[in-house]
Amino acid sequence: MRSLIAERMSTANREIPHYHLSRDVDVGALEIWLAERNEHRPITERILPAACYIRAVALAASRHRELNGFWIDDHFEPAESVNVAMAISLRRGGLVTPQIERADERTLDEVMAALGELVGAARTGNLRASWMTGATITITHLGDSGADLVHGVISPPQVALVGFGRTRERAWVIDDEVVVRPIVTTTLAADHRATDGAVGSRFLATLAQHIDHPEDLL
Amino acid sequence: VNDDNNTQTGTHDSVDLVTMILSAIADVAPELEPELADLDLDVDFWLELQLDSMDHLAVMTRLAQQTGVEIAERDYPRLTTVAALRDFLATNRN
Repeated sequence: MRSLIAERMSTANREIPHYHLSRDVDVGALEIWLAERNEHRPITERILPAACYIRAVALAASRHRELNGFWIDDHFEPAESVNVAMAISLRRGGLVTPQIERADERTLDEVMAALGELVGAARTGNLRASWMTGATITITHLGDSGADLVHGVISPPQVALVGFGRTRERAWVIDDEVVVRPIVTTTLAADHRATDGAVGSRFLATLAQHIDHPEDLL
Repeated sequence: VNDDNNTQTGTHDSVDLVTMILSAIADVAPELEPELADLDLDVDFWLELQLDSMDHLAVMTRLAQQTGVEIAERDYPRLTTVAALRDFLATNRN
């Protein structure tokens, strides 16, 4: 499996002219909103930040369609739906990227349920073939024991990969005051043949806006 | 709820709970099963076994369903070792 990934990533790295952008996002509002919401729900209905990130990426991708689709035969083909793949590392080694279909049209609860199903299936080796194709954009989420940020490699023929680093306490300026806030660095690796940095920057700005207004993710 | 540092062992109940916790981890992460036999009950096993937030939720969900104990998110920070989880479940089970 490792060698298959190595081959695909080498091809991607060689053939796709990547550009990389990053943006720090204050996730304080999201954390408080989630904690309050989860407080009143049984454990089976609780939402994790990862599900919110998937919804936020799906909504941002549905607005910036130039990043949601495929580079095929020297041109960009926008996809009709937003199917968000999630990179999941396997403990035996390797990585799988199953996708959640039409994540922009689903509720946050539905995305959370789908994520639970995907991760469980990935970790126990029961992924369905239908989950493994059709992704239009991919997320890599390093988790809270991971690194601060990730400069990802796009999974062809897709043209964008969105990264989420670990949440860390950082000095942050709000209304001219320095305060300590939980910060996540979001990154975008995108295909320069399909878009340029201006489009990518607007995408990350929309993404940040969605994360800052978690009630929009429902 | 008290007994944060209570690591009493030996009763049937606590031995069963340890088995239940270890099986829940093994269900969620089958490839970790060989490591579970030697797991120190007093280490932060989420870190030790590199379990992520999805694994965490899956393990906690199984334990909540099997014991009927409500595990609130605010309890998570102190439920990092098998011993702490065992004592929490034992104290809160009817």
